Amino acid sequence: MTGTAVWTGAPSALRARPFARRFRGWGYAACVAPLVIFLVLTFLWPLGRFLYLAVDNSDIVDNLPRTVAALATWQRADGVPGEDVFGALAQDLADARSRKTDGIVAQLINQRLVGTRYLILKTAKLAEEGAFETAPRAAMLQHFPEWNRVEVWSTIADDSARLTDFYLLSSLDLRRTAEGSVAPAPAGQAVFVQVLLRTIWISVVVTLVCAVVALPVAHAIVAVGPTASRVLIALILFPLWTSLLIRTVIWIILLQANGPVNGGLQFLGIIVEPLDLIYTRTSLYIAMVQVLLPMMILSIVAVMRRTPKDYMKAALSLGAPWFTAWRRVQLPLIMPGILAGCGIVFVFSLGYYITPALIGGPKEQMISSFIAFYTNNTLNWGLAAALSIQLLLLLVLTWCALMLGRGLVARRSAA
Amino acid sequence: MRMRCALGAAMLMLAVPAVSVTWAEEGPITVVGWGGNWDKAYKEGVWDRYTEKTGTKIVIEEWAGEIAKVRAQVQSGNVVWDLVAAEAPSVEIGCAEGLFEPLPASVTGDPASYLPGTIHECGVASDTWATILAYNADRIKGEGPKSWADYWNVEKFPGKRGMLAQAQYTLENVMMADGVPPSEVYNELRKPGGVDRAFAKLDQIRPHVVWWNTSTQAMQNLASGEVVMTDQYNARVSNDIEKEGKNYVIVWEAGFFYGTDLWALVKGAPHREATLKLLTWFSEPQNQAGFSNLYAYGTGRKEAADFVAKEKLDQLPTAPHHIKHGASYDDAFWVENKESLEERFKAWLAQ
Repeated sequence: MTGTAVWTGAPSALRARPFARRFRGWGYAACVAPLVIFLVLTFLWPLGRFLYLAVDNSDIVDNLPRTVAALATWQRADGVPGEDVFGALAQDLADARSRKTDGIVAQLINQRLVGTRYLILKTAKLAEEGAFETAPRAAMLQHFPEWNRVEVWSTIADDSARLTDFYLLSSLDLRRTAEGSVAPAPAGQAVFVQVLLRTIWISVVVTLVCAVVALPVAHAIVAVGPTASRVLIALILFPLWTSLLIRTVIWIILLQANGPVNGGLQFLGIIVEPLDLIYTRTSLYIAMVQVLLPMMILSIVAVMRRTPKDYMKAALSLGAPWFTAWRRVQLPLIMPGILAGCGIVFVFSLGYYITPALIGGPKEQMISSFIAFYTNNTLNWGLAAALSIQLLLLLVLTWCALMLGRGLVARRSAA
Repeated sequence: MRMRCALGAAMLMLAVPAVSVTWAEEGPITVVGWGGNWDKAYKEGVWDRYTEKTGTKIVIEEWAGEIAKVRAQVQSGNVVWDLVAAEAPSVEIGCAEGLFEPLPASVTGDPASYLPGTIHECGVASDTWATILAYNADRIKGEGPKSWADYWNVEKFPGKRGMLAQAQYTLENVMMADGVPPSEVYNELRKPGGVDRAFAKLDQIRPHVVWWNTSTQAMQNLASGEVVMTDQYNARVSNDIEKEGKNYVIVWEAGFFYGTDLWALVKGAPHREATLKLLTWFSEPQNQAGFSNLYAYGTGRKEAADFVAKEKLDQLPTAPHHIKHGASYDDAFWVENKESLEERFKAWLAQ
């Protein structure tokens, strides 16, 4: 703590300290400097840049500067704009084409108004060839009557600011109306709030199931002798060292319609037709709990080992029923371990991508699946960044909740 | 001693870039294909023969057609891929954006000698493929499905169906199931309410679908009996029938769509000259035919057919007895509508 205070502190404070302590502070700073620099360069900086895409809208202004300026005083009610705006757009598109950025402009405008990609690309091509140098308005309208649509112009005009809330609103199933107020998205397209709640719900269920399953296992590991304990720990570690992909794919084989689980149940006469086990919420829970359980067990075991067994014995010898003794004496003592385990499992669950993709149906896809989809498939990086911000906020909130929980536990055990 | 070691290591490090600079021009060329048996057929039928002839090494990587990856390389100035096989709409967009380089006729040969749709300003056909309806004859005994309407008919053909979890290549099948002939599908989709009609039809089949993202997943589901029929790329099914003796049937007469992927040269490719030489060699009909002889997809040059075995020609989507049931993908439709329809489809799936 003092180390931190020294190297970020004021110079006057530095002078007041003995040389050796000052040196130690700088020494610590030097020790972590490579790590900090590495983190900033390879993690924080790219992450920040990507997240900035959620509000960044500079591509339109940068590529169509003259058009944006010419449209500054234009209103929707004015109808199709005049000669100067057409001339500005022709020049801008010709420049964009020679810089090879016309594709980006076309993509951005097409994202907001579907069916305009070819219009922009073809206009840019002819503009570069000089087709609109004289009387641009008449020439452009003659080649491409779509420029008669006021929506195309208002789309460009609406996007003339450098920052936009379009993606952040979209990621919450909201959008701006033509009048500028915020309104809910149409029912068929409103999906993100549902997915966000689903992500939280799946993570909560997985965390709770892990906690309930892990407690008896952890208890057994601590209670049995050293050899048995080591064997049990090894059994828990082995799956942890196996690739996540393999652990997930094995469940596909086990749970499929003609797999061993259905086969066994049919053989025993419990079911006639195979059950739908795979590509369901249940299969996702099973696979995620299996993958994440070791983390929970290990964090509980770590705390249980440090807990003296005498307290529990004392409570029992004083006549408390076993469960009361466990709930009032043992549970508060191991609570920090449970909380730490829950934190790890919950945070890991939030970002799950491969397991739901392989073993869940479409209704099991979580936020990460949508981030990947918008990044890779439709190149809508703004929306991908906005969704990433949601995930990051969830992470921060979880951390705050954990800190709060730890504080409460500490206060209660102190009281 | 230690000093000398360090000195030696430092000199070695200086020498490495020098070696790689002399290498850079002649390869190894990095080509990016669609993975699996597709890449294997290209390796054995085309690339290995080129390496044998010229000594230029070719490294094969695979992708899923995400043009964002090409864009990221070009924009960051850190291009590691030379040649990528991309879907026609992606080549169209990438060409306009300057992610791919235009190919001169001196490399591709006379454009008139290519089949329609197999040559582009920025690309030359890697493969012409189709999405077809296939079923597992071990699971459906007797008379199998004959149409996409049968695919929707769960009373007559009980069991789950495999379906590609995206709008492109799927909405076409949906419209055919709704009674639209292949040649009319895009006209209907372009009409107001056309897309809504497709999604309404999708609602009907939804409880019976196992969605897939990769062919491997789909074929695994078909083999294990998780699904009784699936949509699929034709060569993938032909390959499993031929190489693994599977009892699958391709229902060409149900109607199908075909499209072309193109080899495109990435702008700023590290081995540009070597790749252009490779493309020049590849545009010879007999060299293209090496691929079709191993995998049931067509290539670009018309004359390539002269070098493909008869029984292989019969399996191609472009074979005369097949193509009368099919229609070509409308690249213009997908260039305009891909993002919005994929986003709508993804939202529909998740709800």
